[in-house]
Amino acid sequence: MNKRLNLLPVWAAISAVIIIAGIVLMALLGFNESPERPASKTFDVYYNVVVDLNDESKAALEEYCESAFAEQGLTYSGKATLAGQSDPVSSSQGSFTATGNDFLLRYTFAADVSDEALASAKAAVEADIEGNEAFLSTTGAETYVSYDTLAQQPLTESVWRGAVAVAVAAVVALIYIAIRFGLGCALTGLIACVNDAFLTLSVFAIARIPVYAFAPMLYAAIAAAVSVVYWLIRCMKLRDDAKDPAAGTLSAQESVANACGATDKIVWLAAGILLVTIAVCAACTAATGAAAVFAGALIAAAAGLYSGMLLAPSVHVKIKAYFDGRRRVRQARYTGKKKSAKADAES
Amino acid sequence: MGKKKSVVLLVIYTLLIAVLCFICTVSFSYGTDNLYTFSSVMRMMEKDADLGLAYGANADAGAYLGGGYSAVYYPEGVISAREYADNLDGMTDEEQADYAANYVRYPDENGSVYLEKGVACNEDGTVMSSFEEAFSSALETVTQRFARLRVDGARVEAVDGCMIRVFLPAMMDGEYIAINLFSYTGELDIRSGSDEASATTIFTDMKTDETVADFVQAVNARSSGDTGYVEFVFTDRGRDALATATSGAAETAVTLYFYVGDSLVLNLSVSEAYEQNTLYISGSYTPETANTVAALFSTSIAGTQDDLTFTPSDAYFHTALYGESTVVMLYIAFGVFFVAMMAFFFIRYHRLGFVHLYTYLLFLFAMILCGWSIPFLYLSVETFLAFMLASVLLCVSDAVTFECARKEYALGKTMTSSVKTGYKKCFWKLFDLHIVVAVIAFLVYAISLTALQTAAFVLGLATLFSGVGTLLVNRFGWAVMMGTSKRPGAFCNFRAEEDENE
Repeated sequence: MNKRLNLLPVWAAISAVIIIAGIVLMALLGFNESPERPASKTFDVYYNVVVDLNDESKAALEEYCESAFAEQGLTYSGKATLAGQSDPVSSSQGSFTATGNDFLLRYTFAADVSDEALASAKAAVEADIEGNEAFLSTTGAETYVSYDTLAQQPLTESVWRGAVAVAVAAVVALIYIAIRFGLGCALTGLIACVNDAFLTLSVFAIARIPVYAFAPMLYAAIAAAVSVVYWLIRCMKLRDDAKDPAAGTLSAQESVANACGATDKIVWLAAGILLVTIAVCAACTAATGAAAVFAGALIAAAAGLYSGMLLAPSVHVKIKAYFDGRRRVRQARYTGKKKSAKADAES
Repeated sequence: MGKKKSVVLLVIYTLLIAVLCFICTVSFSYGTDNLYTFSSVMRMMEKDADLGLAYGANADAGAYLGGGYSAVYYPEGVISAREYADNLDGMTDEEQADYAANYVRYPDENGSVYLEKGVACNEDGTVMSSFEEAFSSALETVTQRFARLRVDGARVEAVDGCMIRVFLPAMMDGEYIAINLFSYTGELDIRSGSDEASATTIFTDMKTDETVADFVQAVNARSSGDTGYVEFVFTDRGRDALATATSGAAETAVTLYFYVGDSLVLNLSVSEAYEQNTLYISGSYTPETANTVAALFSTSIAGTQDDLTFTPSDAYFHTALYGESTVVMLYIAFGVFFVAMMAFFFIRYHRLGFVHLYTYLLFLFAMILCGWSIPFLYLSVETFLAFMLASVLLCVSDAVTFECARKEYALGKTMTSSVKTGYKKCFWKLFDLHIVVAVIAFLVYAISLTALQTAAFVLGLATLFSGVGTLLVNRFGWAVMMGTSKRPGAFCNFRAEEDENE
């Protein structure tokens, strides 16, 4: 007999602890959306020349900035070279065109970096530019150094609509499962689905894993879909087993254990392929910013595997036992003749 | 199936795959000095601005696409320190002193902006509370506008509490239009007249305690094919005002001017009286520009004459968020997956692996063609992830059908019977699996927005193709290819019980 089926309190406790802690942290702190830079400071060096940009001067500006930051003990989290754009030539065009002669060298810092340090760095960079006569005389450049404090405005509609979408989709999918496999299977599937979506979100909230704003709902959707697929595999076997006349003599635990035993291999196989595929994607994009998106999906796929292997089967033992009990009570109350007996009597 | 028929069908099937492979993946230049370029479907497919890769018609010219554009909205009474310095440049000492007396550097002596006294700050240099309130309200309006665009990656940031920095990814046809129009603030107004200068508001009977919202209920964007239009929904009073303003249009053409604050956004010539609650304006709008204009008007219904006015700064181009080589890395990840997948199928099922290969390639090319032809689809990390999930589903489904047939064959049945019975046993299981995933994906697509919406659609579409592929195409391919083999057991690496005993 599968020991895991008897450990429902353990799986429920693990899920409950993680999910409750996660919900509390989500409510208090939200997710760690540091890749979105919700609050930050930027240090800009504006550079403009009359004719064309000079790569040596650009490099010199970068050098001035970085030595000034090092002197102040400042560490930047992002560096970008922004090319200046001009308005479209005609009103029929909707896009900008590059000017080719001005750019911003922008460094991004954490929001808690002190203004004094940035001011000192600004003064140092200005002094370096001022002191380098060759730099100014050879290029005729116009430069300007400034820094700002930024606060991103949340665009929340996509987040709450994503949450509603995942919830509605899971419920509708489980109505289909209820029609095809019975109410008990749908209830277990719903529990597994909700558990996996919240478990995934909770792991991100508790571990403070950096995510883009769109990502938590994407991962919740993946966790829900994966969870439903794994549970569906179990449901198919349960339905096949139920067609066997001997199945009526088995307890709920035995039925679920048999189904799990027969389907564990394919669930492991599907989960393994999925995890390896996502891991390969993450590894191949490791040098880019996309790796974090794939790495996050690993957690969603793992959450689906957790409930597919442990939580859902043990929950279903209880739910199946309840529905089996109700069926037996209904059968005991039935006083009419069976179809076969009716047919015999008619003949 | 007869051998000749199988060979003919296999040749046609292979040619189809080859043609699709060529169209979807091969790009090359030709003609004198490589003047012309044949772009593959994969190359022409829209790509997320976050990925970063030169693609499309300008790819060879070194044009960089991806990334996005940012600009800063400076409110009235706020100028950048650079502009302040430029303004001082041409002045005499006396003029400089007068000019400097009107401004205070903000937030401190190293600040990046100057505030004008009496407009944005008090004489003592503190920010006026009325300015703070107006800025907060304007920031909310601008945020609403960018949110309504529903463009993946759009950002709005408050800078130093007195400026707004906006960012749009380079995925639109008119980033300039959106950035420029969204800086307009104030109340929506519709004026009528024979020319702009003499035009007067049509809301003449607006009482002091009323707003435009009492006349205009909503402004929405609609589209039909490639044409977009802006829909004004008027209240009964608004309809009456419009009817009055256009009552003489049959005799003398009337032009309606649509303003946000003091900025004219569009004008419309009317040649007959208009007495309906809904007014549709098309002009030369695309669905995207119509959405932009509708977002502007819609958020201006609640605007007031006291709103801050903004001046957008010059825009800057930002490089792609994930870095320039992300698309190439995604292709490499797909390549690794593809090689591993085919290695598994060829090792376990020998030449039956070709059946899966053909099914998978058809699935892949169908997805590429859809990604290119469906307007709102594009290649992004999220859509790639969704595609890979569906790929795993197809691989597992094909493996399940092969295993079902293998079990039947092991019982001593003929190959034809094994395939038939194997499919019969797993058909409804695979059908249920695909239907459930597709239902989840399409419902998420219908409700969610931006990145999740696109990824969900790709997952739903790919799941449908996976279902068709594994239940129909795979079986067809199996019948065609097996017909060319004299020893179907060896072809599929299946063994009957007798063989195993031997």
